[in-house]
Amino acid sequence: MNDKQTSVAGFRRRLGHAGDVMHDRWQQAPGWQRWIVYLLLIVAALLLPSETIGSFMSPDTDWATILFFPIGTYVLLAIGLNVVVGQAGLLDLGFVAFYAVGGYAMALLGTRMGWNFWVIMVAGIAICALAGVTLGAPTLRLRGDYLAIVTLGFGEIIRITARNTDEIGGPNGIRGIPHPPSFEGITIGDVEIFKYGVLDPRPYYYLLVALAVVVIILVKRWEKSRVGRSWAAIREDEDAAEVMGVPTFRFKMLAFAIGASIGGAMGVLWAAKSISINPNDFQFLLSATILAAVVMGGAGNLPGVMLGAFIVAWLPERFRGLQEYRMLIFGAVLVALMIFRPEGLLPSRQRKAELKEGSGGMGTLGAEVPGPESHGEEVASK
Amino acid sequence: MLLEIKDIHVHYGKIAALKGISVEVNQGEIVTLIGANGAGKTTTLKTISGLRGLTSGSIVFDGQDISKMPGHKRVMAGLGQAPEGRGIFPGMTVHDNLLMGAYTRSGDFGAELAEAYELFPRLAERRNQAAGTMSGGEQQMLAIGRALMAKPKVLLLDEPSMGLAPLLVQQIFDIIEEINRRGVTVLLVEQNAQQALKLAHRAYVLETGRVVKSAPAAQLLDDPDVQAAYLGGGLGHDAPAEEPAADAPPADRPPADEA
Repeated sequence: MNDKQTSVAGFRRRLGHAGDVMHDRWQQAPGWQRWIVYLLLIVAALLLPSETIGSFMSPDTDWATILFFPIGTYVLLAIGLNVVVGQAGLLDLGFVAFYAVGGYAMALLGTRMGWNFWVIMVAGIAICALAGVTLGAPTLRLRGDYLAIVTLGFGEIIRITARNTDEIGGPNGIRGIPHPPSFEGITIGDVEIFKYGVLDPRPYYYLLVALAVVVIILVKRWEKSRVGRSWAAIREDEDAAEVMGVPTFRFKMLAFAIGASIGGAMGVLWAAKSISINPNDFQFLLSATILAAVVMGGAGNLPGVMLGAFIVAWLPERFRGLQEYRMLIFGAVLVALMIFRPEGLLPSRQRKAELKEGSGGMGTLGAEVPGPESHGEEVASK
Repeated sequence: MLLEIKDIHVHYGKIAALKGISVEVNQGEIVTLIGANGAGKTTTLKTISGLRGLTSGSIVFDGQDISKMPGHKRVMAGLGQAPEGRGIFPGMTVHDNLLMGAYTRSGDFGAELAEAYELFPRLAERRNQAAGTMSGGEQQMLAIGRALMAKPKVLLLDEPSMGLAPLLVQQIFDIIEEINRRGVTVLLVEQNAQQALKLAHRAYVLETGRVVKSAPAAQLLDDPDVQAAYLGGGLGHDAPAEEPAADAPPADRPPADEA
């Protein structure tokens, strides 16, 4: 037993050390080298839907299709949830609600009003930001597990309301959602990259990659700015942040709004591809899976979160051939990850220090024990 | 008067934590609040810094009623706090923690950084270390140094001696005295009554949400009640009740007139 534990610890230490070395090299790399890596990554993302890669990555399903959903969708949702959970340290269990709001915005504005996809994208993002603020304003006075429960409820309210409202299709949802407008005739290889039809998922995937690149640039810029530092302070010690002069309530709202916007943007794009949506597309399980992706990948660290989302989305598809056993394998992988890398696959260094200290927002994942001091009226954080 | 707390009441749900506390702090003083666990010391401090809402009463700082002002704005008004326990940012480096202290300020704060490192040379040694990996004493130093970065008029300190070795406690208290000498008014909450009373000019004794005594600190050091309850003269909180003789013949003791 003891031997086993030390070997596990040794393995973890070696893994961690290798990560640190890589991280240092990356930090010291000059700007042009980083840009080359970024460009290579984008090119790799664009080449990803090829058949050769697909035959290994998903022998049982169409690779390009699952690249859009679930893989790409999960990655983008995880980036959005990471702003809320990883950066501001607010445990949100109802993230799927914003994805649903985005999806319904696309479906309703597209079918009823006949708006163009791009207009709806902008409107959908605005609506979701508003939804984030609406949820945040009354609930962000709560902390930790209380906040988690309220967000969980919000996620369910959105889904159940959609199911019980006949004006928006009730349990049948909405059909005949328009695709984004196509520009035909522009081909790269054998793909018409701007032709958004029913058959070829690849143009949608490219659109998703473009959206992801924009989102990543924005999120990265926020992270490095005063906003990011304020979030980090709130995550590590909310009271201390407030007495340092950080308007904590405002920044928590901002995190909610930004996270919601990203989730909503993905919802719009997803609805535009899938022709029909219904309330069952927005189950709690999706919120939980995205959260698992964020935590497993290394909350707070963007590459880690994306890797986590990729794995969470891809593994069950890869092992589809094993039928019922694939969930068993998926579960075993999750458990193994939590044993070997409880801080996530690629955690940020700051995050690791927080976890070690045992505090730091989601360091306890909202499981902090509420004492008489941790709830009640929070007039100050308004 | 720089800071005046007038009859504040604070509730946690329905439970009254503070039942009318009044405290005055003058420019340049060190004032201490002492009392047992649960007396309401930390709650008082949190209410002053804006982390707690008050039910009634008012807080006047620098001539301005700040009772309804959000906590982050009170920092700009000139209230600096080193929060209870390890109220530092554990994942940030020592240097980043200090910079967070200057969050509300713009322009150059190199002078304050230099001062923080000068007051606490230990922090300079650990400048690039994650704050959460430091010892309790170092974290306390960091919390005080960080609060000073905002150039506060009043420094609120919540139990700076908590969990520290006696030698370190002495060191921290010496530094608090030095900070006060440099012109910062200090409101100190302490369970370590002996040390706090030696350091402070005036003191308030809190018991279950009320001020039961207020006097110059030196006078309280000789007060038989306070000695019995907080200075090891008895068995803690209810000691005076067990020894009614302790407060019956106060005339036997010379009154503390040197204060």
